[in-house]
Amino acid sequence: MSLHSPARVESPILLIEDEPSVTAFLRAALERRGYAVVNAASGAEGLERLNDGEYAGVISDIRMPGTVNGAEVHAWIQRNRPELCTRIILISGDTANSDTQALLARSGTPCIEKPFRVHQLLTVVEKTFGKP
Amino acid sequence: MPRATPKPSHSVSRPRGTRASARPLGQADELMELAVDAAKSRHLPEFLERFAKRAARMLDARWGGVMVFRGRETDLYQTAAGEIRLESSQESAFIRLARENRREIEVLPIVAEPARGQETASPVLVLVPITSSDHEILGSLCLLRGRTNLDDLERRLLQALASHAALSLENFRRFSQLERSKRQWVEDIDAISDYIVVHDRSWRIVRTNRSLASHLGVPPAALVGEAMSSLRQIAETNSELPCPFCRDPQQAREEYVVASPERIFLVSTSRTPGLSDDDTRTIHVLKDMTDRREAERRYRELFDSIQEGLFFATPDGRFLDVNDAMVRMLGYASREELLRADVGTHLYPVPAARERFLRALAERGVLRNYEETLRRKDGTLLHTLQNITAVRGVSGKIAQIRGLMLDVTEQKTFQSQLQRERDFNQKILNTTQSMILVLDTAGLISYANRRCFESGYREDELIGHRLVDWVEASHRESFEAALETTAQGHQVENLEPRVRRSDGSMGHFSISLSPMRDEQNVVNSVVVVMTDITDATLLQAKLAHSEKMATIGRLVSGVAHEVNNPLAAILGFTDLLLENPAIPDDAREDLQIILHETQRTKDIVQDLLSFARQRPVQRELVQINYVLRQTIKLRSYDFASHGVEVTEDFDENLAPALGDAQQLQQVFLNILNNAYDAVQEAGQRGHISIRTQRRGDLIEVAVTDNGTGISDPERIFDPFYTTKQAAKGTGLGLSICYGIVRAHGGEILCGNNEDGRGCTFRVRIPVANETAVATIAKEAGR
Repeated sequence: MSLHSPARVESPILLIEDEPSVTAFLRAALERRGYAVVNAASGAEGLERLNDGEYAGVISDIRMPGTVNGAEVHAWIQRNRPELCTRIILISGDTANSDTQALLARSGTPCIEKPFRVHQLLTVVEKTFGKP
Repeated sequence: MPRATPKPSHSVSRPRGTRASARPLGQADELMELAVDAAKSRHLPEFLERFAKRAARMLDARWGGVMVFRGRETDLYQTAAGEIRLESSQESAFIRLARENRREIEVLPIVAEPARGQETASPVLVLVPITSSDHEILGSLCLLRGRTNLDDLERRLLQALASHAALSLENFRRFSQLERSKRQWVEDIDAISDYIVVHDRSWRIVRTNRSLASHLGVPPAALVGEAMSSLRQIAETNSELPCPFCRDPQQAREEYVVASPERIFLVSTSRTPGLSDDDTRTIHVLKDMTDRREAERRYRELFDSIQEGLFFATPDGRFLDVNDAMVRMLGYASREELLRADVGTHLYPVPAARERFLRALAERGVLRNYEETLRRKDGTLLHTLQNITAVRGVSGKIAQIRGLMLDVTEQKTFQSQLQRERDFNQKILNTTQSMILVLDTAGLISYANRRCFESGYREDELIGHRLVDWVEASHRESFEAALETTAQGHQVENLEPRVRRSDGSMGHFSISLSPMRDEQNVVNSVVVVMTDITDATLLQAKLAHSEKMATIGRLVSGVAHEVNNPLAAILGFTDLLLENPAIPDDAREDLQIILHETQRTKDIVQDLLSFARQRPVQRELVQINYVLRQTIKLRSYDFASHGVEVTEDFDENLAPALGDAQQLQQVFLNILNNAYDAVQEAGQRGHISIRTQRRGDLIEVAVTDNGTGISDPERIFDPFYTTKQAAKGTGLGLSICYGIVRAHGGEILCGNNEDGRGCTFRVRIPVANETAVATIAKEAGR
């Protein structure tokens, strides 16, 4: 599992999540299904990773501390990596935020609400990124 | 008795016969001499004595006398001493006889003649009345002689003598009258204290009275012949004439005031022709006016300086005199201008007032503190208080009106201002939305404003009753304490006791108590201002509640988000563990419990988030009745199978609301579930009625059940407040409803039914306004 793997299917999934326990669970669940995972602990770190490498898709938490949140990651991808636009999954702890609501409605980006079951996650991931 | 010895006369001794021719000549001489004597004589008694003597001589009498009657008195003038004198008894007898005599000539014999030897014949008394030209008996000529009979000649002589005597007496009388009156006149003018001086054309003093002379310190006679200019020291006019008192010598009469530094005189001058044609007598009477002037000056000063208006007027409406204050009061430029004014038309705004005044004055004669509104020159009104006296003429008619006038305009203005203030206060009292009461020191209501009665209280249940009796029992003690504080002079504000309304219901009232003091600054009553703030209290409670709910919402949202992360890890790892075939079965069961409880936690958090949801509701036109029917359909099976009857009382013409049908369905479902649980719990035949109606701009959905009711309606919407069994819900259902309805701009209320069974939930959602309806219709058509 190289960071610079050329094959798309071989490419890892970029996981942007600030909560270590959630990151650990997601990585375990995805890797157990055969996905490669690269994680970033903040939105800013996520954008750095996106600049450096190729990814099969991006899973990002919406609400994160720091200057870059999930919505901004989404917007950056739209601008700089449009081919990844359809390969984003957002995770939210609370969908009450009206900006998030608007974003989801506009882009049709799939969103999983915390807390979720493993099968809920995998269904969305397979549907969006394809099987590993 | 003295001897009556007549003086021997040359004629008496003559024999009658021989002297008959000679006697008339002698008598004629005597008569002529008598006339001359009469003309020359100035002294009556001497003349009459001479006359008596002459008459005796002429008529050969032994005694002669002239009696002069003065009223009851009689003066007797008789022949001179040395001749026969009468004894006093004889004298009075003669006088009596003379007074009784009515005949022209009376001859009476004298009986008691003392005999002296030589005269043997009895003498007679001859009485001849002296009669004036107007037949008045002035006196009597009496002769006593020896011969008894009188011949014709003698009779004529007697008559001639009597007429001479009469003429003389009359003359003397006139003369003495003249003298007397002249003396009297001098005395009179001397008695006059005014100075009198008469001068002729050559400015010489003809006479002065004593008063003037003594003023100069000289006898009156000393001034006669002096030049008038010598009187300049008394006073003088400003004319160039030699007389200090003359002004215009051509005038027959003049009157003017002449002043000296010390004194003031009113000079009355009259000019009359003097003794000769070319002479003129000028008479000056100088009346010393100094004191009168002073009195007048003082009077005038008082008249002019007092602040009250003084006036003298005629009943037909002319001022005779007014003082300055009066002129000022009425706004005239000068006294003269006011004197020209017609009282009736210029001073009285309405003629009727003047008539009323005159009538009252005619009736009573005196008017005390008579109120009258007059008009000033500039047209403004002058309120006066007058004291009037009518001065009546001989006929009893009012001849003059004298009065004193006070300007009470300011007081009037003050009074009317007071009245206006009173009216203003009255209006406030009557129109204010607050109930205002006045309590006496005993706490009894003595006054209640109109609002009290409009609120339904009856006068007889307020006035004279204790206000505290209307206060809810639990608040009475503190209310009485507040009254006590007020009675001690302190204001008490914002008491909020519950007070019984006129319909018996209790209301929240805001009450302030203010002490009211009497002149001695002693609190004698308490003003109570009461406002029913029940609605305001409700509103305030709602506001407080919504604020509380918003705070809870923000808290819950934060907590939920924080809980979701660990929850996601727990749920996720539990799932992963369960997928692990190496996990023993008993551990797997435990993991299932973890999974279940995590799910439950997730639901709670989900509900919390729904309650705290901040996203705007979907804005679409919602038919409330339709949403309700859909909701009922969801539960109809349960209702029917558990014998719960649901009745619908829908307003079928209900306007659409603007909102989120799904969220509203959630609200209605929640309420229906609550109602269902409540009627189930009550254990009787359940009944739920749902009613829709429009209330102003709101659509109200009322869901009434006959269940157990709510123990604490005020807390029902608080999160986690539940009366249900632990497993039945999260305690957030109604909190979520609350959040949804608020997000719709509506309200949700809950209260127990008045009949004491069950409760009613009311949901009020705003009606979609026309703009919203049009906008949405347009969007739908695109």
